[in-house]
Amino acid sequence: MAKTDPKKNFLVEIKGVTKTYFPRKQFFARHQNKVLALNGIDLCIETGEIFGLVGQSGSGKTTTGRLLVRLEHPTAGHILFNKVPISGLKGPELKKFRSRAQMIFQDPYQSLNPHLSIAETVMEPLVVQKIGTPETRSEKVIHTLETVGLSPGKAFYNRYPHQLSGGQRQRVAIARAVVVEPEFIVADEPTSMLDATIAIQLFKLLREIKETFGMTFLFITHNLAAARYLCDRIAVIHEGHIVEINTAEKIIRNPEHPYTKKLIKVQPGFKYGR
Amino acid sequence: MLNKYSLQRFYKGWQIFIENPLGKTGVIILVVFMFMAIASFFVPLIGPMYDPMTGIDPDIRVSTGPSLTHWLGTDNVGRDLFAQLLEGAKVAFIVGLSAAFISIVIGTLVGMVAGYTGGLLDAFLMRTADIIMVLPSLVILLILASLFGQFNIWIIVFIIAIMRWPAVSRVIRSQTLSLKHRPFIEASRVAGASHLRIIFRHIMPNVLPLAFLYMTFRVTAAILVEAALSFLGFGDPSQVSWGMMLQWVWKSGHMFQAPYWLIPPGMCISLLTLAFYLLGRAMDEVLDPRLRKEGQA
Repeated sequence: MAKTDPKKNFLVEIKGVTKTYFPRKQFFARHQNKVLALNGIDLCIETGEIFGLVGQSGSGKTTTGRLLVRLEHPTAGHILFNKVPISGLKGPELKKFRSRAQMIFQDPYQSLNPHLSIAETVMEPLVVQKIGTPETRSEKVIHTLETVGLSPGKAFYNRYPHQLSGGQRQRVAIARAVVVEPEFIVADEPTSMLDATIAIQLFKLLREIKETFGMTFLFITHNLAAARYLCDRIAVIHEGHIVEINTAEKIIRNPEHPYTKKLIKVQPGFKYGR
Repeated sequence: MLNKYSLQRFYKGWQIFIENPLGKTGVIILVVFMFMAIASFFVPLIGPMYDPMTGIDPDIRVSTGPSLTHWLGTDNVGRDLFAQLLEGAKVAFIVGLSAAFISIVIGTLVGMVAGYTGGLLDAFLMRTADIIMVLPSLVILLILASLFGQFNIWIIVFIIAIMRWPAVSRVIRSQTLSLKHRPFIEASRVAGASHLRIIFRHIMPNVLPLAFLYMTFRVTAAILVEAALSFLGFGDPSQVSWGMMLQWVWKSGHMFQAPYWLIPPGMCISLLTLAFYLLGRAMDEVLDPRLRKEGQA
């Protein structure tokens, strides 16, 4: 589907990736129902772009995100990060990769450990990656908290997740992802648990972060409007297949695939073709 | 691990706990026994006559009832029963708490590792736990004691602990299984955290409250097993304990002649185990919000 253009600089390349989930084996079960989450998808993400992955629930978009940060392994196919296949990474190389690709999770109420303070949560990637000394780390944490809009950073430093609102929690989660200054961030529906005004603020924040640090984003969402607002290019995924990839404007104005048209039609707020 | 959040939670939990009638009763009984255990350190200082093991009243040759010099009376060789009772409280605490602590440490570690790693290691650890769980611990202790002679109190503690960790590990494992797929664990993995770091920094603080709950029930079990073992004559003969007192009253034929000798240790065993049980029930309420009264946060 995606034509690999050798001139372009791709940070992430997904080649023919299939992911099948096998439900727990049952004794005496004759047939095993397997779930095909991704069916041979190809996708390339350019360095420095915000790439949107749009699809409905169960379309395999979250699975794609999890594969890209190696929370899971593909059943078939390859994922290249900076031209290096990530499935073969081990030990120190894997750890290095972990500092270069981060993830922002969907539910900010679940993605922060209630027993750790904000400082401990945001500092963890630095500690794990052995970046800096204890003093520079805490400076870096405060600075990052302020970057994500939790200022003054010192005021949030010693607080705990239960003392923060949903939007603030998600900002902490973003801070944790950007604190190691990764090249690539997977944002898995970071605003679906938050209300619209907070969501807009977070979109702006993601934009700012992208511009200051020059990161590449994979933005996963079910919301075409959000994708249009934030993304440079959009891929529409349906039942494990990528049905259409194009620039955000073209997808919205000139959808080719019937599923994309349907998706735009059900989107409240704007009609396709306009 | 003992950070501000844990302390705040501990304080809130304590408030719910102490408002609970069960918890309050348990704490009161426990405090009385603690004073008894502390007092046992000072009793021998009064005079060598009051040493619970070796102190013999020179004027007394047979078991006597309560008097001013011996508040609960004496046993058949003239040892002070009250001093023995106090000493028994100390031993019960040592046996109960240390056996429970060891079994909780083993159970928590095994449970977290089994739940987190899954697969073959999980199967191996859990089948081992199953095997130990179905063994009758008292019978095993009796067989071992008759094979190797009298055990020292610490060996008894250790064997009780070894027999009692599986139930803990099962509970901790199931809790770990549900924690394992929480996004904050995955975020830590994405950050590159090692398995050990995830287990000890992220999973352990979340399972520790449950471990402490189970510890109170283990204390009860350990005290009862030690008492039963001592009563049957397989305890540590160099150590006074409530079970030992019962063994002596039975062996010396005073079972039905000296109620002042028979009843106090029996009551103490029941009350102390009851106290720990009540404590556990009240803690259960702290940890499980569904059991709480209306209006308690």
